[in-house]
Amino acid sequence: MAGASAPLLGLAVLVAGLLAAALAAHRLAGWRTGRPAAVDWFGGLAALPRRYLHDVHAVVARDPFTARMHALAAGGLLAATLLALLGAIPALGGLKLWWALVFLAFTAMLAGSLMVARRRLPQTPRRLSRGRFSLLPFLLLAYAVGGLVVSGDAALGGVLPQVVALAALVLAAAGLLGLALQIASGPLRHALAGALYLVVHPRPARFASVRDTGLRPLDLAAPKLGAELPADFAWNRLAGFDACVQCGRCETACPAFAAGQPLNPKRLIQDLAAAASTGSNAAYAGSPYPGAPAVAGLGGPLKPVIGAGAMIHPDTLWSCTTCRACVEECPMMIEHVDAIIDLRRYQTLEQGAVPEKASAALSELRLADDAGGRSPAARADFAAGQPLPVLPFEGGETDILLWLGEGAYDLRYGRTLRALLALLTRAGVDFAILGEVEKDCGDLARRLGDEATFQRLAHENIATLARHRFRRIVTADPHAFHVLKQEYPAFGGSFEVLHHSQFLDALVTEGRLAPAALALPGGKPVAYHDPCYLGRYNGEVEAPRRLLDRLGLPRVEMERHGLRSMCCGGGGGAPVSDIPGKARIADIRMSQAVAAGAGTVAVGCPQCTAMLEGVTGERPEVLDIAELLLRAVEAAGDGQEQAA
Amino acid sequence: MKAVVLLSAGLHPVSARPAPVPVEMQAIALARTLGAAAAGLHAGPGGPGVADALGHGLARIGHLPLARGADPLEALVNHLAAHPPELVLAGRCGQGGEDSGLLPYALAARLGWPLIADAVALEMQGPGVLAVRQALERGGRRTITVRLPAVVTVHPAAPAAAAFAWGQARRGVLEVLPVPSGFAGDAVPAPELRPYRPRPRLIRGAASGGSAADRLKAATESAAADGKLMVGPSPEEAAREILAHLRKLGLVPPRQPR
Ligand code: SF4
Ligand code: SF4
Repeated sequence: MAGASAPLLGLAVLVAGLLAAALAAHRLAGWRTGRPAAVDWFGGLAALPRRYLHDVHAVVARDPFTARMHALAAGGLLAATLLALLGAIPALGGLKLWWALVFLAFTAMLAGSLMVARRRLPQTPRRLSRGRFSLLPFLLLAYAVGGLVVSGDAALGGVLPQVVALAALVLAAAGLLGLALQIASGPLRHALAGALYLVVHPRPARFASVRDTGLRPLDLAAPKLGAELPADFAWNRLAGFDACVQCGRCETACPAFAAGQPLNPKRLIQDLAAAASTGSNAAYAGSPYPGAPAVAGLGGPLKPVIGAGAMIHPDTLWSCTTCRACVEECPMMIEHVDAIIDLRRYQTLEQGAVPEKASAALSELRLADDAGGRSPAARADFAAGQPLPVLPFEGGETDILLWLGEGAYDLRYGRTLRALLALLTRAGVDFAILGEVEKDCGDLARRLGDEATFQRLAHENIATLARHRFRRIVTADPHAFHVLKQEYPAFGGSFEVLHHSQFLDALVTEGRLAPAALALPGGKPVAYHDPCYLGRYNGEVEAPRRLLDRLGLPRVEMERHGLRSMCCGGGGGAPVSDIPGKARIADIRMSQAVAAGAGTVAVGCPQCTAMLEGVTGERPEVLDIAELLLRAVEAAGDGQEQAA
Repeated sequence: MKAVVLLSAGLHPVSARPAPVPVEMQAIALARTLGAAAAGLHAGPGGPGVADALGHGLARIGHLPLARGADPLEALVNHLAAHPPELVLAGRCGQGGEDSGLLPYALAARLGWPLIADAVALEMQGPGVLAVRQALERGGRRTITVRLPAVVTVHPAAPAAAAFAWGQARRGVLEVLPVPSGFAGDAVPAPELRPYRPRPRLIRGAASGGSAADRLKAATESAAADGKLMVGPSPEEAAREILAHLRKLGLVPPRQPR
């Protein structure tokens, strides 16, 4: 007889399993309040192992300690529980070897559980939640230790005194039941909801290494536009909110949170999950929205989410720069930005509840196609006499269509565009602009939730572009780049679009531009700041760096760079919404450049330029890639003249 | 309380596309501060700019269709006399049309109602009594109490208009109202075009040096601050003071020593 209490362990697992299933079913029923969604169940189920082992792991592995902790704790727990359950079958439960196997699994789990506890010692890091999460290490340890003793005893054929074995069994059962109770609203909810969310993910393409980041078009004929209630989200989005494990990675990455603005993506997702289920966020025990005005904290599947009397204050919603840093960091693959935009759409389109300055910008976009109400005839003024061919109204032909974007009205960015023009002319590129018929690409309108204006601008720009023959579009504005490339196809406009850094990189590769080695004043290195809409949104982090390296510049990386770079604070309409915080995001970013020892920050975006140039005091110089390249090309030209 | 906000067919100053007139949208916001059941009223050609007011907080707009360029006064008087509201709100002047700002005055005169110009805030003082906070020059304000019905025009310094809500504009009702024959209004004579002539600067000697703060102070300081109050002066005395003041402003050449 192999330890009399061991088969009872299997029984405890069964009871806990049934309890968990009942609680989970209740939670699942809650998701059915959401809107229907087109879900590829078979494809999703088939892809689940890969999505978990590859995509989720790629994110989790950025923090090796946590990755090992999770593998041991979760893997051990699952294996031990499954094996113990099977141990209730007499044929297996009688085998000592079987229980040795169970013992091994519990050993792994114990190691993992100790790591879970260690992570919170001596002090729980700020990004982790307390509350029910503080209980988790104890439950895990109880189950692991109890299970370990019971299975070890059984493996040895029952050597322990009866009371000890029984006590161990009680300990294990208590831990396990405690864990089962966490399945509906506690820490373990993420296991169930997360697995399901991986199957029914609203952006399955992101698992195929596609940077699927374009916003989904809103049906403007729908009776209600955007999300007012939790029930206005698709059900698989609700499942996504429940998948959040409160790891706080998004919080650490969020620029608005860092600047003390009233936004915390982790809390936002938790509030949405709470609004969709219990209706109260009182159980939340993580970092707050910094300095957010008080709200009632009440909700429900059919209650409004946004408002002082609801769950989330509007200031939280408008603080987001849509930089996607939270999405990039989230191990549960939650799509925070989609949720924020859905909520904004309702506020903007149905309520007209936009921040005052943002409302002025939207109104000018609606009535005059430009957020500043500036005349389209003035867009090309920056060129100041440099050759700038303009396409006729229709039937124009050019190799490269240069999309100027909003930066053209900005005096500072005009310098960048002049440098770009000079480079294109030197390289003998056949290019032209649309001229007065180029309208705002609609980025700002869309991020601020004004989908009606965005769709109008998209249709009109696509119609304009359709009147001409060109091979590719080149733009120095990553926001226009993203919208033209990823968001216009849904409206019937598919174009080959290049960011100017990609195009210039190609010109240098082909030898059409020959830069000399460039020395920057002071000999300090240059740091490249990735624009969110080029890097994270579209995956281009190589071309600009290649180009800088070709200039022979010493280059350093800021701590946050590439796909995990930090926003300058200029996206998502945040500059016009202007929600106050304790610091400015651009100042924080610039201090990171200083910390990296950079003397120059290379940029590739009008927003980044404006935001980083706005940093006061002693700071690195801000220069666009095109400006740096032009200097190098001119230096080469001077060198040749001197040699001649 | 029933209020009517007069809407004109405006044009955007840059794009020249039909657009709501900002100060009229502010009028809607003011009407809403009273909790009034406000409806819009437009006498003219209509168009998307007028309908946009539905997205700025009006649930209903009555439209008296008139030909472009026709004088809307008769149609408005006829309609408002037949369905009198307690309060008529209008913008201080239109945008992109004739923009004379005279219509509210003509309307008030015809209706025999008082007109208070340049409101920035409204408050009911009791049944039928409205307190109007009025914008004066150089940031001055004063409150006038008026017995309704009345016509009130709204100043651009009034609180911001409600942001445009596309969904509300979509749901709002634009109702075409009948215009009896004889009220369709005559075409307003086309304005005469003259070349632009720069006007003389009125206040010579206004601070041009000093710090920005000094210049701002000089430009915004109330003129009354350095005025002089004379009670019952003799005509000669008064004339002397007025002349001296005008000389100080540089509007009358300094006295030549004879
Ligand atoms: S998108 Fe950026 S600003 Fe918005 S919540 Fe995520 S990390 Fe924060
Ligand atoms: S949303 Fe994602 S990254 Fe943020 S706390 Fe939840 S699981 Fe972690």
